[in-house]
Amino acid sequence: MKRNSLWTLAIFCGAALLLSGLGLSRSATAQDARSAEWGRLEAEKSLGNPNAPIKMIVYSDYECPVCGNLYEQTLRPLIDDYVASGKVYLVHRDFPLPGHLYSRQAARWVNAAARIGKFEAVERALFENQGAWSEFGTAGTKGNIEPFVQAALTPSEFKRVQRLMQGCDSNTHQEIKGCAVDAGIQHDIAEGELLPVRATPTILISAHGQQYPPTTGVISWPILRQFFDQLLSQK
Amino acid sequence: MTPSPRWNAGRVLLLIGRLALAVVFLLAAYGKLRPQNAIPWSLASLKITPASLGLSMTFFAMQVDSYQLLPPRAVSPFAHALPWMELALGILLLTGLALRYVSLASALLLALFYAVVIRSYALHLSINCGCFGPNETLDGWTLVRDGCLFALGVAVTIGAFMIRRRSRFVTAATPDPDRAA
Repeated sequence: MKRNSLWTLAIFCGAALLLSGLGLSRSATAQDARSAEWGRLEAEKSLGNPNAPIKMIVYSDYECPVCGNLYEQTLRPLIDDYVASGKVYLVHRDFPLPGHLYSRQAARWVNAAARIGKFEAVERALFENQGAWSEFGTAGTKGNIEPFVQAALTPSEFKRVQRLMQGCDSNTHQEIKGCAVDAGIQHDIAEGELLPVRATPTILISAHGQQYPPTTGVISWPILRQFFDQLLSQK
Repeated sequence: MTPSPRWNAGRVLLLIGRLALAVVFLLAAYGKLRPQNAIPWSLASLKITPASLGLSMTFFAMQVDSYQLLPPRAVSPFAHALPWMELALGILLLTGLALRYVSLASALLLALFYAVVIRSYALHLSINCGCFGPNETLDGWTLVRDGCLFALGVAVTIGAFMIRRRSRFVTAATPDPDRAA
Protein backbone atom coordinates (compact mmCIF):
# COMPACT_ATOMS: atom_id res chain seq x y z
CA MET A 1 0.00 0.00 0.00
CA LYS A 2 2.79 2.35 1.01
CA ARG A 3 4.78 1.47 -2.10
CA ASN A 4 1.74 2.05 -4.30
CA SER A 5 1.24 5.51 -2.81
CA LEU A 6 4.85 6.40 -3.53
CA TRP A 7 4.50 5.25 -7.12
CA THR A 8 1.31 7.28 -7.56
CA LEU A 9 3.01 10.33 -6.12
CA ALA A 10 6.03 9.90 -8.41
CA ILE A 11 3.83 9.49 -11.50
CA PHE A 12 1.77 12.53 -10.51
CA CYS A 13 4.89 14.69 -10.02
CA GLY A 14 6.37 13.48 -13.29
CA ALA A 15 3.19 14.29 -15.18
CA ALA A 16 3.04 17.74 -13.57
CA LEU A 17 6.66 18.46 -14.51
CA LEU A 18 6.09 17.28 -18.06
CA LEU A 19 2.96 19.40 -18.45
CA SER A 20 4.59 22.52 -16.99
CA GLY A 21 7.63 21.95 -19.22
CA LEU A 22 5.38 21.65 -22.22
CA GLY A 23 3.50 24.79 -21.20
CA LEU A 24 6.72 26.75 -20.72
CA SER A 25 8.18 25.67 -24.02
CA ARG A 26 4.89 26.47 -25.74
CA SER A 27 4.77 29.99 -24.19
CA ALA A 28 8.47 30.50 -25.06
CA THR A 29 7.72 29.44 -28.62
CA ALA A 30 4.74 31.80 -28.73
CA GLN A 31 6.92 34.63 -27.39
CA ASP A 32 9.63 33.86 -29.96
CA ALA A 33 7.04 33.90 -32.72
CA ARG A 34 5.64 37.20 -31.46
CA SER A 35 9.05 38.88 -31.26
CA ALA A 36 9.89 37.55 -34.73
CA GLU A 37 6.62 39.06 -35.96
CA TRP A 38 7.45 42.44 -34.35
CA GLY A 39 10.93 42.25 -35.84
CA ARG A 40 9.43 41.70 -39.29
CA LEU A 41 6.98 44.58 -38.79
CA GLU A 42 9.81 46.88 -37.66
CA ALA A 43 11.90 45.92 -40.69
CA GLU A 44 8.96 46.78 -42.97
CA LYS A 45 8.90 50.34 -41.61
CA SER A 46 12.67 50.82 -41.64
CA LEU A 47 15.12 52.15 -44.17
CA GLY A 48 18.74 51.24 -44.70
CA ASN A 49 21.08 48.55 -43.54
CA PRO A 50 20.04 46.89 -40.24
CA ASN A 51 23.75 46.40 -39.46
CA ALA A 52 24.56 50.09 -39.87
CA PRO A 53 26.71 51.54 -37.04
CA ILE A 54 23.98 54.01 -36.07
CA LYS A 55 20.33 53.21 -35.42
CA MET A 56 17.82 56.02 -35.27
CA ILE A 57 14.24 55.40 -34.16
CA VAL A 58 11.68 58.14 -34.84
CA TYR A 59 8.34 58.10 -33.04
CA SER A 60 6.14 60.09 -35.35
CA ASP A 61 2.57 61.14 -36.05
CA TYR A 62 1.65 61.70 -39.72
CA GLU A 63 -0.66 64.59 -38.88
CA CYS A 64 1.70 66.46 -36.55
CA PRO A 65 3.08 69.54 -38.39
CA VAL A 66 6.40 69.36 -36.51
CA CYS A 67 6.82 65.73 -37.69
CA GLY A 68 6.18 66.98 -41.23
CA ASN A 69 8.90 69.62 -40.77
CA LEU A 70 11.31 67.03 -39.39
CA TYR A 71 10.64 64.77 -42.35
CA GLU A 72 11.12 67.51 -44.95
CA GLN A 73 14.09 69.29 -43.37
CA THR A 74 16.01 66.46 -41.76
CA LEU A 75 14.85 62.94 -42.60
CA ARG A 76 14.83 63.40 -46.37
CA PRO A 77 18.47 64.51 -46.58
CA LEU A 78 19.31 61.82 -44.02
CA ILE A 79 17.64 59.12 -46.13
CA ASP A 80 19.31 60.34 -49.32
CA ASP A 81 22.74 60.54 -47.71
CA TYR A 82 23.54 58.57 -44.54
CA VAL A 83 20.81 55.92 -44.90
CA ALA A 84 21.62 55.33 -48.56
CA SER A 85 25.33 54.97 -47.78
CA GLY A 86 24.67 52.42 -44.99
CA LYS A 87 25.75 54.64 -42.10
CA VAL A 88 22.34 54.92 -40.46
CA TYR A 89 19.47 52.48 -40.03
CA LEU A 90 16.28 54.54 -39.79
CA VAL A 91 13.30 53.01 -37.99
CA HIS A 92 9.86 54.57 -38.05
CA ARG A 93 7.51 53.93 -35.14
CA ASP A 94 3.91 55.09 -35.11
CA PHE A 95 2.76 57.24 -32.26
CA PRO A 96 -0.52 58.77 -33.47
CA LEU A 97 -1.59 61.36 -30.92
CA PRO A 98 -5.25 61.05 -29.85
CA GLY A 99 -5.71 64.81 -30.33
CA HIS A 100 -5.08 64.46 -34.07
CA LEU A 101 -8.23 63.35 -35.86
CA TYR A 102 -6.76 61.53 -38.88
CA SER A 103 -3.35 60.50 -37.59
CA ARG A 104 -4.31 56.92 -36.73
CA GLN A 105 -6.00 56.39 -40.08
CA ALA A 106 -2.92 57.77 -41.88
CA ALA A 107 -0.77 55.35 -39.87
CA ARG A 108 -3.04 52.47 -40.96
CA TRP A 109 -2.54 53.36 -44.63
CA VAL A 110 1.23 53.56 -44.23
CA ASN A 111 1.34 50.28 -42.31
CA ALA A 112 -0.69 48.58 -45.04
CA ALA A 113 1.72 49.94 -47.66
CA ALA A 114 4.65 48.78 -45.52
CA ARG A 115 3.27 45.23 -45.64
CA ILE A 116 3.78 45.20 -49.41
CA GLY A 117 7.21 46.89 -49.18
CA LYS A 118 6.02 50.38 -50.12
CA PHE A 119 6.59 52.14 -46.81
CA GLU A 120 9.01 54.79 -48.07
CA ALA A 121 6.84 55.88 -51.03
CA VAL A 122 3.63 56.22 -49.02
CA GLU A 123 5.29 57.85 -46.02
CA ARG A 124 6.80 60.44 -48.35
CA ALA A 125 3.45 60.99 -50.11
CA LEU A 126 1.61 61.58 -46.83
CA PHE A 127 4.20 63.96 -45.40
CA GLU A 128 4.54 65.86 -48.67
CA ASN A 129 0.76 66.33 -48.87
CA GLN A 130 0.15 66.74 -45.13
CA GLY A 131 -1.42 70.16 -45.72
CA ALA A 132 -3.96 68.64 -48.11
CA TRP A 133 -5.41 65.82 -45.98
CA SER A 134 -4.64 66.89 -42.41
CA GLU A 135 -7.17 68.68 -40.22
CA PHE A 136 -4.65 71.53 -39.88
CA GLY A 137 -4.42 72.01 -43.64
CA THR A 138 -6.23 74.61 -45.70
CA ALA A 139 -7.41 72.33 -48.51
CA GLY A 140 -10.99 71.05 -48.69
CA THR A 141 -9.86 67.40 -48.74
CA LYS A 142 -9.41 67.00 -44.99
CA GLY A 143 -9.31 63.39 -43.90
CA ASN A 144 -9.22 62.11 -47.48
CA ILE A 145 -5.97 60.15 -47.34
CA GLU A 146 -6.69 57.45 -49.92
CA PRO A 147 -6.01 59.51 -53.10
CA PHE A 148 -2.50 60.37 -51.90
CA VAL A 149 -1.76 56.72 -51.16
CA GLN A 150 -3.13 55.75 -54.57
CA ALA A 151 -0.96 58.34 -56.31
CA ALA A 152 2.17 56.90 -54.69
CA LEU A 153 1.48 53.32 -55.85
CA THR A 154 0.86 51.38 -59.05
CA PRO A 155 -2.78 50.21 -59.54
CA SER A 156 -1.96 46.61 -58.56
CA GLU A 157 -0.04 47.73 -55.46
CA PHE A 158 -2.90 49.99 -54.46
CA LYS A 159 -5.36 47.07 -54.77
CA ARG A 160 -3.20 44.99 -52.43
CA VAL A 161 -3.06 47.86 -49.95
CA GLN A 162 -6.83 48.32 -50.19
CA ARG A 163 -7.31 44.64 -49.38
CA LEU A 164 -5.14 45.01 -46.29
CA MET A 165 -7.17 48.05 -45.28
CA GLN A 166 -10.44 46.10 -45.25
CA GLY A 167 -12.06 46.54 -41.87
CA CYS A 168 -9.91 49.59 -41.09
CA ASP A 169 -12.18 52.31 -42.42
CA SER A 170 -12.49 54.46 -39.33
CA ASN A 171 -10.78 57.47 -37.80
CA THR A 172 -10.99 55.98 -34.33
CA HIS A 173 -7.83 55.85 -32.24
CA GLN A 174 -8.97 52.58 -30.66
CA GLU A 175 -7.59 49.33 -31.99
CA ILE A 176 -10.03 47.85 -34.52
CA LYS A 177 -10.26 44.10 -34.12
CA GLY A 178 -10.92 43.34 -37.80
CA CYS A 179 -8.14 45.64 -39.03
CA ALA A 180 -5.06 43.63 -40.01
CA VAL A 181 -2.58 46.48 -39.64
CA ASP A 182 -3.72 47.87 -36.29
CA ALA A 183 -1.74 45.44 -34.12
CA GLY A 184 1.55 46.82 -35.47
CA ILE A 185 0.54 50.40 -34.63
CA GLN A 186 -0.60 49.31 -31.18
CA HIS A 187 2.77 47.65 -30.62
CA ASP A 188 4.62 50.85 -31.58
CA ILE A 189 2.45 52.90 -29.20
CA ALA A 190 3.14 50.45 -26.36
CA GLU A 191 6.90 50.68 -27.04
CA GLY A 192 6.66 54.47 -27.06
CA GLU A 193 4.75 54.59 -23.79
CA LEU A 194 7.51 52.54 -22.16
CA LEU A 195 10.17 55.08 -23.19
CA PRO A 196 8.09 57.27 -22.43
CA VAL A 197 7.28 59.33 -25.52
CA ARG A 198 5.64 62.56 -24.36
CA ALA A 199 5.41 64.35 -27.68
CA THR A 200 6.13 63.79 -31.35
CA PRO A 201 8.56 63.61 -33.00
CA THR A 202 10.74 61.84 -30.46
CA ILE A 203 14.11 60.60 -31.66
CA LEU A 204 16.13 57.80 -30.13
CA ILE A 205 19.70 57.26 -31.31
CA SER A 206 21.98 54.33 -30.54
CA ALA A 207 25.47 53.57 -31.78
CA HIS A 208 28.16 51.03 -30.91
CA GLY A 209 25.81 49.41 -28.39
CA GLN A 210 25.25 52.69 -26.54
CA GLN A 211 21.84 54.31 -26.39
CA TYR A 212 21.45 58.07 -26.06
CA PRO A 213 18.54 59.77 -24.28
CA PRO A 214 15.50 60.61 -26.40
CA THR A 215 15.25 64.08 -27.93
CA THR A 216 12.02 65.75 -28.89
CA GLY A 217 11.31 68.27 -31.65
CA VAL A 218 12.93 69.23 -34.91
CA ILE A 219 16.70 68.90 -35.26
CA SER A 220 18.11 70.43 -38.39
CA TRP A 221 20.11 68.17 -40.69
CA PRO A 222 23.51 69.94 -40.32
CA ILE A 223 23.38 69.58 -36.53
CA LEU A 224 22.23 65.95 -36.63
CA ARG A 225 24.91 65.17 -39.21
CA GLN A 226 27.55 66.67 -36.90
CA PHE A 227 26.43 64.31 -34.12
CA PHE A 228 26.43 61.32 -36.47
CA ASP A 229 29.91 62.20 -37.75
CA GLN A 230 31.21 62.23 -34.19
CA LEU A 231 29.55 58.90 -33.46
CA LEU A 232 31.01 57.42 -36.63
CA SER A 233 34.49 58.67 -35.78
CA GLN A 234 34.36 56.74 -32.49
CA LYS A 235 35.14 53.07 -32.57
CA MET B 1 30.67 101.84 13.80
CA THR B 2 29.68 98.16 14.38
CA PRO B 3 27.63 96.44 11.71
CA SER B 4 23.97 95.97 12.77
CA PRO B 5 22.45 92.44 13.21
CA ARG B 6 20.24 93.19 10.19
CA TRP B 7 23.30 93.83 8.09
CA ASN B 8 24.85 90.57 9.27
CA ALA B 9 21.63 88.70 8.38
CA GLY B 10 21.82 90.27 4.92
CA ARG B 11 25.36 88.98 4.50
CA VAL B 12 24.28 85.47 5.53
CA LEU B 13 21.36 85.56 3.08
CA LEU B 14 23.69 86.72 0.32
CA LEU B 15 26.06 83.86 1.10
CA ILE B 16 23.21 81.31 0.95
CA GLY B 17 21.86 82.79 -2.29
CA ARG B 18 25.31 82.88 -3.87
CA LEU B 19 26.02 79.25 -2.95
CA ALA B 20 22.60 78.13 -4.18
CA LEU B 21 23.19 79.87 -7.50
CA ALA B 22 26.67 78.32 -7.72
CA VAL B 23 25.20 74.83 -7.21
CA VAL B 24 22.57 75.48 -9.91
CA PHE B 25 25.21 76.52 -12.44
CA LEU B 26 27.51 73.63 -11.55
CA LEU B 27 24.63 71.12 -11.89
CA ALA B 28 23.65 72.63 -15.23
CA ALA B 29 27.25 72.36 -16.49
CA TYR B 30 27.57 68.77 -15.23
CA GLY B 31 24.29 67.79 -16.95
CA LYS B 32 25.61 69.03 -20.28
CA LEU B 33 29.23 67.90 -20.05
CA ARG B 34 28.77 64.39 -18.62
CA PRO B 35 28.60 61.43 -21.04
CA GLN B 36 25.00 61.55 -22.19
CA ASN B 37 24.67 57.79 -22.55
CA ALA B 38 25.58 57.18 -18.90
CA ILE B 39 23.16 57.17 -15.97
CA PRO B 40 23.41 60.54 -14.14
CA TRP B 41 25.65 60.42 -11.03
CA SER B 42 26.86 56.93 -11.88
CA LEU B 43 30.61 56.26 -11.99
CA ALA B 44 30.43 56.10 -15.77
CA SER B 45 28.89 59.59 -15.85
CA LEU B 46 31.99 60.95 -14.10
CA LYS B 47 34.37 59.52 -16.69
CA ILE B 48 34.60 62.67 -18.78
CA THR B 49 37.11 62.26 -21.61
CA PRO B 50 37.86 64.60 -24.56
CA ALA B 51 35.91 62.24 -26.86
CA SER B 52 32.91 62.06 -24.53
CA LEU B 53 33.01 65.86 -24.11
CA GLY B 54 32.82 66.38 -27.86
CA LEU B 55 29.83 64.03 -28.12
CA SER B 56 28.07 65.58 -25.11
CA MET B 57 28.36 69.08 -26.51
CA THR B 58 27.17 68.02 -29.96
CA PHE B 59 24.27 66.22 -28.28
CA PHE B 60 23.51 69.44 -26.40
CA ALA B 61 23.67 71.30 -29.74
CA MET B 62 20.73 69.15 -30.92
CA GLN B 63 18.73 70.34 -27.93
CA VAL B 64 19.67 73.97 -28.54
CA ASP B 65 18.65 73.51 -32.18
CA SER B 66 15.22 72.17 -31.22
CA TYR B 67 14.38 75.62 -29.78
CA GLN B 68 14.42 76.86 -33.41
CA LEU B 69 15.89 80.15 -32.33
CA LEU B 70 19.41 80.21 -33.73
CA PRO B 71 20.59 79.51 -37.29
CA PRO B 72 22.44 76.15 -37.58
CA ARG B 73 25.76 78.01 -37.95
CA ALA B 74 25.32 79.68 -34.54
CA VAL B 75 23.91 76.63 -32.73
CA SER B 76 27.17 74.73 -32.45
CA PRO B 77 29.38 77.59 -31.12
CA PHE B 78 26.67 78.52 -28.60
CA ALA B 79 26.22 74.91 -27.44
CA HIS B 80 29.99 74.47 -27.11
CA ALA B 81 30.43 77.69 -25.10
CA LEU B 82 27.44 77.61 -22.73
CA PRO B 83 28.40 74.65 -20.49
CA TRP B 84 31.88 76.14 -19.89
CA MET B 85 30.34 79.53 -19.14
CA GLU B 86 28.03 77.88 -16.60
CA LEU B 87 30.96 76.01 -15.07
CA ALA B 88 33.00 79.23 -14.78
CA LEU B 89 30.09 81.14 -13.22
CA GLY B 90 29.49 78.27 -10.78
CA ILE B 91 33.12 78.24 -9.64
CA LEU B 92 33.31 82.04 -9.38
CA LEU B 93 30.07 82.19 -7.37
CA LEU B 94 31.40 79.49 -5.09
CA THR B 95 34.59 81.44 -4.41
CA GLY B 96 32.85 84.82 -4.19
CA LEU B 97 35.45 86.49 -6.44
CA ALA B 98 34.29 89.70 -8.20
CA LEU B 99 30.84 88.91 -6.84
CA ARG B 100 29.08 92.02 -8.18
CA TYR B 101 30.10 91.36 -11.78
CA VAL B 102 29.71 87.59 -11.59
CA SER B 103 26.23 87.82 -10.04
CA LEU B 104 25.24 90.42 -12.65
CA ALA B 105 26.43 88.09 -15.46
CA SER B 106 24.52 85.21 -13.83
CA ALA B 107 21.33 87.25 -13.59
CA LEU B 108 21.63 88.28 -17.24
CA LEU B 109 22.17 84.66 -18.33
CA LEU B 110 19.19 83.51 -16.24
CA ALA B 111 17.08 86.30 -17.78
CA LEU B 112 18.03 85.00 -21.23
CA PHE B 113 17.08 81.43 -20.26
CA TYR B 114 13.78 82.60 -18.80
CA ALA B 115 12.91 84.59 -21.93
CA VAL B 116 13.71 81.61 -24.18
CA VAL B 117 11.64 79.25 -22.04
CA ILE B 118 8.67 81.66 -22.06
CA ARG B 119 8.89 81.96 -25.85
CA SER B 120 9.04 78.19 -26.36
CA TYR B 121 6.15 77.59 -23.98
CA ALA B 122 4.06 80.25 -25.72
CA LEU B 123 4.80 78.66 -29.11
CA HIS B 124 3.74 75.23 -27.72
CA LEU B 125 7.08 73.71 -28.70
CA SER B 126 7.10 70.12 -27.44
CA ILE B 127 10.84 69.89 -26.81
CA ASN B 128 13.34 68.91 -24.17
CA CYS B 129 14.54 71.78 -22.00
CA GLY B 130 18.17 70.63 -22.00
CA CYS B 131 18.70 72.89 -18.98
CA PHE B 132 20.16 70.27 -16.63
CA GLY B 133 20.88 67.61 -19.22
CA PRO B 134 18.72 65.42 -21.44
CA ASN B 135 15.35 63.83 -20.73
CA GLU B 136 13.77 66.95 -19.28
CA THR B 137 10.57 68.09 -20.95
CA LEU B 138 9.94 71.82 -21.22
CA ASP B 139 6.61 72.40 -19.46
CA GLY B 140 4.87 74.72 -16.99
CA TRP B 141 7.15 73.53 -14.19
CA THR B 142 10.21 74.61 -16.20
CA LEU B 143 8.66 78.07 -16.49
CA VAL B 144 8.13 78.33 -12.71
CA ARG B 145 11.60 76.98 -11.91
CA ASP B 146 13.39 79.30 -14.33
CA GLY B 147 11.36 82.25 -13.01
CA CYS B 148 12.48 81.43 -9.46
CA LEU B 149 16.11 81.07 -10.56
CA PHE B 150 15.98 84.42 -12.34
CA ALA B 151 14.53 86.03 -9.19
CA LEU B 152 17.34 84.46 -7.15
CA GLY B 153 19.91 85.80 -9.61
CA VAL B 154 18.46 89.31 -9.34
CA ALA B 155 18.33 89.10 -5.53
CA VAL B 156 21.98 87.98 -5.29
CA THR B 157 23.04 90.79 -7.66
CA ILE B 158 21.17 93.45 -5.67
CA GLY B 159 22.55 92.00 -2.44
CA ALA B 160 26.11 91.99 -3.78
CA PHE B 161 25.88 95.65 -4.82
CA MET B 162 24.19 96.72 -1.55
CA ILE B 163 26.69 94.94 0.68
CA ARG B 164 29.58 96.50 -1.23
CA ARG B 165 28.06 99.98 -0.85
CA ARG B 166 27.38 99.43 2.83
CA SER B 167 30.92 98.08 3.40
CA ARG B 168 32.39 101.25 1.90
CA PHE B 169 30.11 103.37 4.11
CA VAL B 170 31.09 101.39 7.23
CA THR B 171 34.79 101.65 6.38
CA ALA B 172 34.49 105.40 5.81
CA ALA B 173 32.53 105.94 9.07
CA THR B 174 35.01 103.95 11.24
CA PRO B 175 37.62 106.37 12.71
CA ASP B 176 41.24 105.54 11.95
CA PRO B 177 42.65 104.21 15.28
CA ASP B 178 46.10 105.68 14.55
CA ARG B 179 44.65 109.14 13.95
CA ALA B 180 42.40 108.94 17.01
CA ALA B 181 45.39 108.14 19.13
